[in-house]
Amino acid sequence: MNKFGKLAVSAIALASAVASNTVFADTLDDVIARDKLIVGVKNDYPPYGYLNDAGETVGFEVELAKYVASELLGSPDKIELVPVVAANRIQFLEAGRVDVIFATLGVTDQRDEVIDFTVHYVNAAGPSVLMPKAATVDNWEQLKGQSICGIQGSYYNKKMTEEFGINLVNFKNQPDAYRALKDNRCIGFVFDDMTLQKKLEEADWSDYKIAVTPYEYLPMAGGLREDDAAFAEAVNKAIVKAEGEGKLIEWETVFGMPHSEYIAERAKAAAAQN
Amino acid sequence: MFGLDYSWLADPAYQSWLVTGVINTLELAALSSSVAILIGMLGALGLSLRVFWLDALIELFVEVFRNTPPLLQMLFAYFTLSTLGLETTDPVTGLKMPLLSAFACACISLSLFGGALAIEAFRSGLETMPKAITEAGRSLGYSRWARFWRIEVPIASRVCLPSLTNILTNLFKTTSQASVITVPELMYYAGQIYNDTFRTLEVMILILIIYVVLVSILSYGMSRLEAYLTLPGYGKEQ
Repeated sequence: MNKFGKLAVSAIALASAVASNTVFADTLDDVIARDKLIVGVKNDYPPYGYLNDAGETVGFEVELAKYVASELLGSPDKIELVPVVAANRIQFLEAGRVDVIFATLGVTDQRDEVIDFTVHYVNAAGPSVLMPKAATVDNWEQLKGQSICGIQGSYYNKKMTEEFGINLVNFKNQPDAYRALKDNRCIGFVFDDMTLQKKLEEADWSDYKIAVTPYEYLPMAGGLREDDAAFAEAVNKAIVKAEGEGKLIEWETVFGMPHSEYIAERAKAAAAQN
Repeated sequence: MFGLDYSWLADPAYQSWLVTGVINTLELAALSSSVAILIGMLGALGLSLRVFWLDALIELFVEVFRNTPPLLQMLFAYFTLSTLGLETTDPVTGLKMPLLSAFACACISLSLFGGALAIEAFRSGLETMPKAITEAGRSLGYSRWARFWRIEVPIASRVCLPSLTNILTNLFKTTSQASVITVPELMYYAGQIYNDTFRTLEVMILILIIYVVLVSILSYGMSRLEAYLTLPGYGKEQ
């Protein structure tokens, strides 16, 4: 075997040794022993998790995380918020750097294969397309062959290219994509509908509109490590309790979200159960 | 093997992404390497003419492009050149858009970065030239140009081949940074694939192997070239 062959084999052997080393500990015991819940949240994603003017991480899911902490440990302050992004949140969870993620995590089959979900507490609109007001496009089929800005790693990128034939121009982060849209490097920006709606409220974006509306609604849930039954049960119980107390409806109001039927119905069902 | 899951490789979408990624990486590397070598030769020729203002100009070029990160150069070319006026009008929409595509921006900045390094490599080759050889050329009646082209270049290019190999392999790996400005090369698609499948480790191992193979082919080719061009008394013996 030549030098490179040996190198490749030892690299694979090393990597697989790391891979097989994942241990499924009982997170609930760890959390109680530590007396602190470590949660992965977004901090660039209003209204779910973002930095307010005082530099604090706030948002709908941050409130939910604090509620869960207070249910598990008796105080909403026994919590450590770890900022995560779409591209690393699952890895953070798997690596044990956080106990749970509440980070705009859409429920998909592929994710279900590697992690477990909590109860689905939000039914979020999928992606929509932000375009200049003058644009005449109004459905996904018309975008075939067009250059549309996007974000690297988004779960719908494959569907966009394969099903709609869109020529995606994907950036690492949102500011770059917004900038490229303003530069007309692409005719639109495909992203999570709620975020784009919020963007339109900014003065700089008054010449833009949501040209193409979401093709699907996707339930959102917290993410847990697989086969972590005791912890999953405790977290789910806390979420359902919050729903039953009408907390999620309250947070919708606090963070300026339109009141959704999904949350209202879950609140009613949870209240009936309690 | 070893509990790694490569079933995602059966997906035709991922296969075509990987193939496109490799092709774009190769295109970017080949184009920018060629231009970098050309810049290196021209720059070294310019320096050998010993014209004061030309020296200063080339030195400035080398300092600017060798001492700034290629990632910064790419972002600069991609996001700011259009605001400085490098714009064109899109024939379809009639809107103003940047003149340079992402691929062009990446190619230009990699060429300039590699070129700056190559100038230094070629210059070092020319400077190791024994004075006796150029003097011998002069006494035989070779003009300045003929001495450069027929005596100095053939010897200097052999002397600087090892450092040129270094520069080209580095340049090849630096193409991965073009994913930041949306050039769909290997790293760009790798990120998308592991975000879709969550097989981060498996994707990274595969990408690592692809890079090792591609760069090994390049360095093997360069070492063959070195062996082929070897001069008696210079470099390693066969």
